[in-house]
Amino acid sequence: MTYESIWLVLLFPVLGFLTQALLGTRIEKALGRRVLGFLAVLPIVLSFAVGLVITLGLKGDRSAPVTICEWITGGGLSIPFELVVDPLSMTMVLIITGVGALIHLYATGYMNEEREFARFFTYMNLFILAMLILVLGGNLLLLYVGWEGVGLCSYLLIGFWYKDLANAKAANKAFIVNRIGDWGLSLGLMLIVALLMSSKGAILDGRFLSYDTMLPALKTVLAAHPAMATAIALLLFVGAAGKSAQFPLYLWLPDAMAGPTPVSALIHAATMVTSGVVLLNRMHIVFEMSPVASAVVCVIGAFTALFAALIAFGQSDIKKVLAYSTVSQLGFMFIACGAGAYWAGMFHVTTHAFFKALLFLGAGAVIHAMAHNQDMRNYGNLRKYLPITFWTMVIGTLAICAVGIPGVFGFAGFYSKEAILGGALANTHAQINGVQLGQIAGWVGLGVAALTSIYMTRLTCLTFLGKEERWRSIPAPVVDAHHDDADHHDEAHHELDERHTPHEVPVSMWLPLVVLAVLSIGSGFVLAKGGAFEKWLYPTALPVLGEVSTEPSGIPLAMYSMIAALGGIALGLVFYLKGLPKNQGLDESKWTGLRRAERDQFGFDNAMTIAAVEGGGDIARGLWKWCDDGLMNGFVEGLGKLSGGMGDLMKRWQTGYVRLYALMMLLGLVGLIGFFALAIQRGVH
Amino acid sequence: MNLLSIIIFLPLLGALALLALPERKTKTIQQVSMLTALLTFVTSLGLLLKFDGESYGFQLVERYQWIAPLGIGYKVGLDGISLMLVLLTTLLSIVAIGCSMKIDQRLRAFMICVLILETAMLGTFLSTDLVLFFVFFELTLIPMWLLINIWGGKNRAHAANKFLIYTFAGSIFMLIGIISLGYLYFKTTGRLSFDLVDIQAQVANGKLWATAIAAQPYIFWAFAIAFLVKSPGFPFHTWMPDTYAESPIAGVILSSVMVKMGTFGFLRFCLPLFPEALKSQVPLLVALAAIGIVYGAAVAAVQPDMRRMMAYSSLSHMGFVLLGIFSLTRMGVLGGVYQQLNHGISASILFLLVGYLAQRRGSTMFSDFGGLKAQTPILAAIFLLGMLSSVGLPGTNGFVGEFLVLLGSFQAAYADQFSIGVVVLAAFGVVLTAVYLLYMFQRIFYGKITNPENANLADLSRSEVALAGVLIVFIFWGGLVPNSFMKPMKVSVDATILMAKGMVDHRPHWDSPETPLEYYNLQKPIRHVEALKPIIRNGPKPFLMAAPPQTPSPAGMGIRAGSGAPKPAAAAPADSKPVAPKPALGSRLAPRSGSATPAKPAPGGTR
Repeated sequence: MTYESIWLVLLFPVLGFLTQALLGTRIEKALGRRVLGFLAVLPIVLSFAVGLVITLGLKGDRSAPVTICEWITGGGLSIPFELVVDPLSMTMVLIITGVGALIHLYATGYMNEEREFARFFTYMNLFILAMLILVLGGNLLLLYVGWEGVGLCSYLLIGFWYKDLANAKAANKAFIVNRIGDWGLSLGLMLIVALLMSSKGAILDGRFLSYDTMLPALKTVLAAHPAMATAIALLLFVGAAGKSAQFPLYLWLPDAMAGPTPVSALIHAATMVTSGVVLLNRMHIVFEMSPVASAVVCVIGAFTALFAALIAFGQSDIKKVLAYSTVSQLGFMFIACGAGAYWAGMFHVTTHAFFKALLFLGAGAVIHAMAHNQDMRNYGNLRKYLPITFWTMVIGTLAICAVGIPGVFGFAGFYSKEAILGGALANTHAQINGVQLGQIAGWVGLGVAALTSIYMTRLTCLTFLGKEERWRSIPAPVVDAHHDDADHHDEAHHELDERHTPHEVPVSMWLPLVVLAVLSIGSGFVLAKGGAFEKWLYPTALPVLGEVSTEPSGIPLAMYSMIAALGGIALGLVFYLKGLPKNQGLDESKWTGLRRAERDQFGFDNAMTIAAVEGGGDIARGLWKWCDDGLMNGFVEGLGKLSGGMGDLMKRWQTGYVRLYALMMLLGLVGLIGFFALAIQRGVH
Repeated sequence: MNLLSIIIFLPLLGALALLALPERKTKTIQQVSMLTALLTFVTSLGLLLKFDGESYGFQLVERYQWIAPLGIGYKVGLDGISLMLVLLTTLLSIVAIGCSMKIDQRLRAFMICVLILETAMLGTFLSTDLVLFFVFFELTLIPMWLLINIWGGKNRAHAANKFLIYTFAGSIFMLIGIISLGYLYFKTTGRLSFDLVDIQAQVANGKLWATAIAAQPYIFWAFAIAFLVKSPGFPFHTWMPDTYAESPIAGVILSSVMVKMGTFGFLRFCLPLFPEALKSQVPLLVALAAIGIVYGAAVAAVQPDMRRMMAYSSLSHMGFVLLGIFSLTRMGVLGGVYQQLNHGISASILFLLVGYLAQRRGSTMFSDFGGLKAQTPILAAIFLLGMLSSVGLPGTNGFVGEFLVLLGSFQAAYADQFSIGVVVLAAFGVVLTAVYLLYMFQRIFYGKITNPENANLADLSRSEVALAGVLIVFIFWGGLVPNSFMKPMKVSVDATILMAKGMVDHRPHWDSPETPLEYYNLQKPIRHVEALKPIIRNGPKPFLMAAPPQTPSPAGMGIRAGSGAPKPAAAAPADSKPVAPKPALGSRLAPRSGSATPAKPAPGGTR
């Protein structure tokens, strides 16, 4: 199978989506949920298989676009529907379809008790399709199509349980904050097109946004306009920061946890949120040409990584911890991209997809077993009830903590984090006026790695370890009367209380956990061996930066990383092995001030919400009442009243004779004509 | 065959037929009016067969004398810009009639109004005589006034009068403008005519404004005010919220076509006839457009009434159309013209659904709704699709138009035509659009049902789904295969831009559509440099003068004379029809520089 068959990868999710959307409920009624679930997983598996075959056969002629058909042609612009098959896109295809298939399988179990099974998988298959378009699209506009497409699916899935208005609001927030990022991205696209159109000898056939023509042209044009490189890079990064939840646009991601847990795993951890990193890899030529923009990327990445890691300490909701952890890990990826080690960013995307999906699915299994209660303060000693979940989660935790022995073996995250920090410390690309912001970001990243180990150990300890089974202290409701909203079939069907006994999840749910655990153990080792991943992704040196080292000279980075990871875990065990500390309990008034600040995101979310929602609302209402109703409409209505008043004065003119009115109109007309005649006469001389 | 006249007057015929029917035969009235609308639509589809997308001249032209002494004629013609608007009008008339079947009060009169409105709108889009255009333009006011005044909501009288007086006041200015143009034409040629083609030919050769250039901005604004009121453009939009809030749904749907008469007016008159004034006024106009986009979206977000929200939404969306048109770039204008269609489709589907809600609940206040998704899933799904088109999500038609508009205006701003801040602001409008639309969807559909009156709300019936489904098809068709709609527009759009931006004597004119547009080209890359080399090397004059005139042209050598000549025809066979686009960006034909400077060709012939 040659790379030209790449459209098959898109075809299967399209068919899956249409099946679920148009026939889903009928199939469910006629053949049952198992069949429907099978039909949801199948297309993703098939896409994965095709993607795998194409990837294995990929050699030479790597980035030739496969044009499917015309899309937008006109105005000197030509944007075909074209797909690009290269290591970057295929890496993402395998992650999306591979992890996607596992999560789909998991979801058939997780969502089994929910209503609207078909609607869920409609959105999920559509998401896979949009995400594939994002990575496979052969031009920036198709990337934008996928970009907004995944945003839509994210919106639909966050608001999946729409009866709870909080979910709907979280969905809106996600979409709107993402749109702010898209604003930057679209301006970046426009700047690219305007720049290329106005430069001589650029692209001949109007394919201004196609990678194969745009990137070489950009390289020559930007060499002459270095300021433009910075402008384009920063605009693209605004888009990346929106989708990849970087400060200050990270706000939507924690709220997005309102969606079902498989959604959080697939969209808000493994795939969609890494789109920004993919974008930076795709457009790396622009970032290579702008040290300033690269430094900004590093700084934002490092700050986000630190900020989110701190917030994670103040969270009691297991999914929220993982959400902030995702934000933090995405920050790491941007540190790498800013420093010029683009492949290291993608490497972390890959390993993170495995271990973060694993952690989220594990958390989902816990939530599933705990009657959809997500508060870790009610957990404890779950390793007894959920052994598979426990051990796989431990593997995931070791992977995200980047545990490993240099030169021997490490979990997946060990190699990718090592490459990121090495890349940041070894390079001088990301700098402003000689200040080595990239290297500073690298040191910050090392510190955050230690914090990561602590809060992840906290999560594991509070959930699985300790003797205390804290949900036992929730009193059972006295009267087990049926709820007043009996048809309310969402996550809170029955509450967690002392009578509850957790059970290990069904095979459809633990099988993906095991597969992902294997990947979290071995993928880093395999991909890093002999620089395999780097050579696969960037077989030649970068066009501007040349060879980018990830091994800082004179710094025993591997030693430091090991200390950070193991030291963090040790500290975490010291604090949390005994169980829930008193000052982190259900009574939040006993929390320390710092922890409360962390819980509240240091007041940032609140401030932004007040500024945007209330401030914006007030401005809009002010515009409406004062400007629209008052000033502009007032003027018009005033004119009407004035003529009405004059009419009262001149009542005797109100004869009711139409011909008189006609006369008046004529007179007015003559007056106006006179004015214009004068104007013309004046114009004549 | 007078295809255009047939299309214009078919609805009127239907209206006359309705007059002959007795009022009580509701069923027949419904059938006749629906049949008329369908027949008009099918007939207008015939235009697609007859239309030649490679020519920028008016096609299927009909010319009759009307008021001969004043040079006023019944002249209609079709070009790429009006073609799609005609189809949009006939399509949305079906929808408007389809959703009004249940009107129980004076149905016959209602349908007559709708059909007359359709005739007036079609006439507006097809007129090529200024006075005829004005007549049709004003004719829309009467049925619309009646629709609001008789079948409207509580404050209908006030809204109807406001609508009538406001838009009428705007168009009075246009009338003055038309008379001024007629006067100038008379001064230039000694002949009285209000024929757009005649007048534009004099603009193209620079004669019309040669002695009256200082008056051009005034007359430009006389037209512009009328069109800004109609479009509506900020700050002339305040008639719209009242109109939308009070009008019956059919009226609102049709007024989503009527607003295009404003933007169409800009394309048809302001761009070709006022090239010099345009240059100085564009910064102001694009600023108004961008303010309209953001302002409309912001105010829309805080409206308590869906209909008023939709009115401000229209202000915002039409801002994109205006922005695209005034960017005067190929992408921008094409996007603007395309966005006219998209807004027509996406706004009317939302109006239609809001209308269904109003029929069921007798209210369009947000506070009366909430949590409907569980009760009416089909309505919610279709509403979502319409909303996505309005949001401009890729894959829907709204995206293509909006994106082209933004690209084009960015390009113009990059070339210092106006401030880049305008585009940044306009692009931010896309964020605000998401804010008010998502907020609307949330307030209607999400959460639990709070109002017991909604507990038994009926979902859409089959016929209602069918009516909305037609529009949904266009949403995706327009988003996935936009070329099928944009292709017929391109040549006319390019011609209009060149009319507006070209130097004197380098503006295309409608009376010589044989001359390839590349000849006039100033701004866009020439596709076939090889083929055009003779023109570039020699300049247009020698080769034009050498060519024997093919058609007898009284005034001598117009540009059209050359185009039929064997030499250029052989040299540039594929100019207007690129076979395999192998263009060369940057190598531009610049007739004003070097040897390419045209020696003034003889004045274009007047017919």
